[in-house]
Amino acid sequence: MYVYIYDNFLRQRKFESAIKAMEIRLTDYGIAGKILRLHNYTDAKPVIDDEIKRGAKTVVIVGNDQTFGHILSRSATCDCVFGFLPIGPNNTIAQVLGIPVGDAACDVLSRRRKELLDVGWMNNRYFVSQLHVPPSKIEVTYDERFKVSANDKMEIVVCNLQPFYWKNDKKSTEQYVVHPQDGKLEAFLRPLTKKGWWGYKYEDPSVFPFEEMEINAIEPFVVEADGKITKEIKVKIKLAHGKINMVVGRDRKF
Amino acid sequence: MIFNKSKAQNLQSEEAPLEEMNIESVSEDTVETIVGPSVNVEGDFASEGNIIVKGTVSGSVHTSRHLVVESGARIMANVRAQSAQIAGEVKGNMKIKESLEILSTARIIGDVEAKVLAVEAGALIFGKITMPGLEVEGKTMRSNKQNKRVDDFTVSPELQ
Repeated sequence: MYVYIYDNFLRQRKFESAIKAMEIRLTDYGIAGKILRLHNYTDAKPVIDDEIKRGAKTVVIVGNDQTFGHILSRSATCDCVFGFLPIGPNNTIAQVLGIPVGDAACDVLSRRRKELLDVGWMNNRYFVSQLHVPPSKIEVTYDERFKVSANDKMEIVVCNLQPFYWKNDKKSTEQYVVHPQDGKLEAFLRPLTKKGWWGYKYEDPSVFPFEEMEINAIEPFVVEADGKITKEIKVKIKLAHGKINMVVGRDRKF
Repeated sequence: MIFNKSKAQNLQSEEAPLEEMNIESVSEDTVETIVGPSVNVEGDFASEGNIIVKGTVSGSVHTSRHLVVESGARIMANVRAQSAQIAGEVKGNMKIKESLEILSTARIIGDVEAKVLAVEAGALIFGKITMPGLEVEGKTMRSNKQNKRVDDFTVSPELQ
């Protein structure tokens, strides 16, 4: 049995036609199922657990990167197959998974090509897409073997499934991308140096693939993982292998 | 803050699709580990992929693939790699399995072992250079605490 979890933003009128086309395609394939709508204060884990008890075998996330991260970070341990139907803008994870945006994603879902995906683990919760630490005075230890530090503040982005796009500065036309690899997490570090009295300047970034890392600081720093913001003084990040059973496309990037 | 998650996503959707990425970004993608210019790395730095060092590494560097030490970069310990290109400063012994390219801006203080070696004019090396492939008969090696010295050897006839 299939269960579809729709994000709240899909209520907007501009997505009506896309959703209708998608539902028709799903009915054609005979994989239409129960539809649940995600609200701002809904915790996905008990909802999915309830549906699994009622006999759901496949849970399909309908929305964008934010929906994907929000649901899977809470329900990575659920015993079911996950599917993803990307709709609208901000769908970079779908590209990595080889799922086209719009109703063509139903074809991928109907083929049920399954893969076990790695998930990031941070202190006591999972993250699927990205973890972001805004510029702070921090020190990073990788795999308990080597330590990375900067003279002043440093910004960190850890990519799991979501690629990270960055530019040297606002005016620069060159855009770089950090592609996540399978079996590793990618840490993107960018130190800042003082420029003038108040300003800061970004230095060239460093990229480290890793399986385990620890971020330490004397003062608490902000951590954003899959849209959830917390303040921490010590963060341990690990890679949890093969946690999510996911339906992926043939053109996936891993 | 110049970039964050939402902005990064916007950049992707508004400006350049993945297929239109420039060459530099593609080459960036093939490189697996980059040590930036204002970053200090302490400890045993090991990787199974390519490494580019632009900053300072105080500790051993080990990779099973290609190592690039850019001009201005410093490595303060032993280095082991499949192949390497050195334009910066290395204080320690280097053991390279395949080819080693030493550029004019390089400064190496330590012994070098490589199968294929290319040294550009202007490079500074202080140490012993060893290249496997040259067979020495009846060699007697005497090792001190500081260095190893070949006392008496005869080169095999086919090499004379």
